[in-house]
Amino acid sequence: MGLDRLFSNIAGYMDQYLVLPVLFRLHWMAWDDLAFDWCLICVYGIFAVLVTYAVCLPLEAWRPVERWPDNKAVLVDVFYTFLNRVGVTPIVTFVLFYQVQTWSTGLLVEHGFIPPTLDSLVPGLFGHPLVTFLVYALILDCADYWRHRLSHSFRWWYALHALHHAQTQMSFWSDDRNHLLDDVISFFWFFTIGLLIGIPPLQFPLLLMAMKFIESLSHANIRASFGPLEWLFVSPRFHRFHHGLRAAGRHSCNYASVFPVWDIIFRTADFRDEYLPTGDARAPAALVSGSYLAQQATGLKLFWQALGKSWASLGIGRAAS
Amino acid sequence: MASRQVVGTEPAYREPSHWCLTPDRRQLFICDASGNAIFIFDPITGAPLGRKRIADPYQLGYTPDNKYLMVNALRLDFVDVYDGATLRLVKRFKPGRWPSHLDFSPDSRWSFNSMQNSNTLVSFDLASMTQRWAVTVGETPAGVLWHRGKVLCCIMGGRGFVEVDPVSGQITRRVVTGDGAHNIFLDTKKQILYVSNRGPGKTGLTALDPVSFQILRQYEIPGGPDDIGIDPEGNIWICLRYAESVAILDPVSGHYSSIPVGRSPHGIFLNTMLRQPGRITAERI
Ligand SMILES: [Zn+2]
Ligand SMILES: [Zn+2]
Repeated sequence: MGLDRLFSNIAGYMDQYLVLPVLFRLHWMAWDDLAFDWCLICVYGIFAVLVTYAVCLPLEAWRPVERWPDNKAVLVDVFYTFLNRVGVTPIVTFVLFYQVQTWSTGLLVEHGFIPPTLDSLVPGLFGHPLVTFLVYALILDCADYWRHRLSHSFRWWYALHALHHAQTQMSFWSDDRNHLLDDVISFFWFFTIGLLIGIPPLQFPLLLMAMKFIESLSHANIRASFGPLEWLFVSPRFHRFHHGLRAAGRHSCNYASVFPVWDIIFRTADFRDEYLPTGDARAPAALVSGSYLAQQATGLKLFWQALGKSWASLGIGRAAS
Repeated sequence: MASRQVVGTEPAYREPSHWCLTPDRRQLFICDASGNAIFIFDPITGAPLGRKRIADPYQLGYTPDNKYLMVNALRLDFVDVYDGATLRLVKRFKPGRWPSHLDFSPDSRWSFNSMQNSNTLVSFDLASMTQRWAVTVGETPAGVLWHRGKVLCCIMGGRGFVEVDPVSGQITRRVVTGDGAHNIFLDTKKQILYVSNRGPGKTGLTALDPVSFQILRQYEIPGGPDDIGIDPEGNIWICLRYAESVAILDPVSGHYSSIPVGRSPHGIFLNTMLRQPGRITAERI
């Protein structure tokens, strides 16, 4: 694939002229093999943001759902995006996943079990990277559906997720707007699944990028659906419905992030052709329009209060609902 | 052979790395470490012959007497010894962090394994299955080669390789070749030593006299040079990890051309190597 090659070459330059000199100087050359992977993650991350920007910006200008007097509230989402897509988060995730995967594989191997990969287990998968990717993508997306749905079901969890819903000026930058603790929970969620099915960290970067693109696009301030393919991929209309004021909180719909099929199967899909204002009416101002730190602090406070309430309701013998 | 084009691509699981030939030279084993597998190919035609599940094979080699197959499991910190005929695990050593490259003494008694993240070179006695010694050789040791009664070990966090006495484990010489010296090879025909220097800074190949270790020539080749092979015409084929290509260097003129091959080419096997008598390893070419 031409694009794949271009990215690897850019990552190669970045590794040789930026990263290796640092590793060499810091006496960390043992990480040389992995350093190239880190560079690839960064290059793909930067490119993903650029593509999303190039596609969504004109679309948002052309067919916006809402027009805002100013874009101040969007700025913080831009910060979230860079932090999550290009910055520290993917690298830290990568290193942590690598370490835990190594540690758990070592433990299994010492007990005489060599963990297989999904493509070696399922007949017909090996040698068909596209099919393999699709299987991985469906498993991960299904897991994400349930993570998201559960995050709306528990009081303490929604207290964190409310940060994502609080945005009243929702744009393609909003995808990564999440509470740090919520990110950590997602991380462990996918971590466990990744360990079970053996995720190949960098086998399908372009396809992963395409999935991330759909997620960003689904948040865009665009009056658009995918028409006859609306059931296949999550469209801006489909996900906006999830962000509608009515859908904030514990009874929501359209939880899927890439494939609406999960909402169809588990009966939470709503394909109504409406474009509702977004936000969470109960969210405090700091969560809506505060700075990054204010949002994080407020999220944490709400989480703590919700946790207390959940405990209290458990204490008097009622099931927490 | 003359088209210098990719004629076929076979799928693997994760990232294929190093190779070895089976004693009968009928099978080529290629490691796929994080896929926990060895892929088996016909060394002449390149036809896939199957795969075998094995724990984290990064670098591997048969002892010269073919009694054992030794596997360095880099991620898992194991040095595993398998029975050469049945491939049953015989012994597992845990000598340090990130076992990387390996070689043996010609009498098959000793192995020498570099520990990439412990900065040591470790030797095992394969008759008694015990560790003989471990010596700190420098930061991030990689390529290992038995050479004229001594063991050579590249120092990737340094600027060259060390010569170690196989009996005492003492360092007898230190040789500077270039930043990030990664692997060391012997051109068995012309008796020239080559070291691939990964960088930072100037990367490429260093050609050395096999006895005096005097530098004969430096070839500057960007793109993260790794393993090399030499074809019958004397051209050196070099895996360029970060340039997604294999460079073909004419060692006389110093010119090279490259073939795009896909991400992170790591090891290289030329089937013309099968014409070579005696033991064939990735470092003896
Ligand atoms: Zn939600
Ligand atoms: Zn959303």
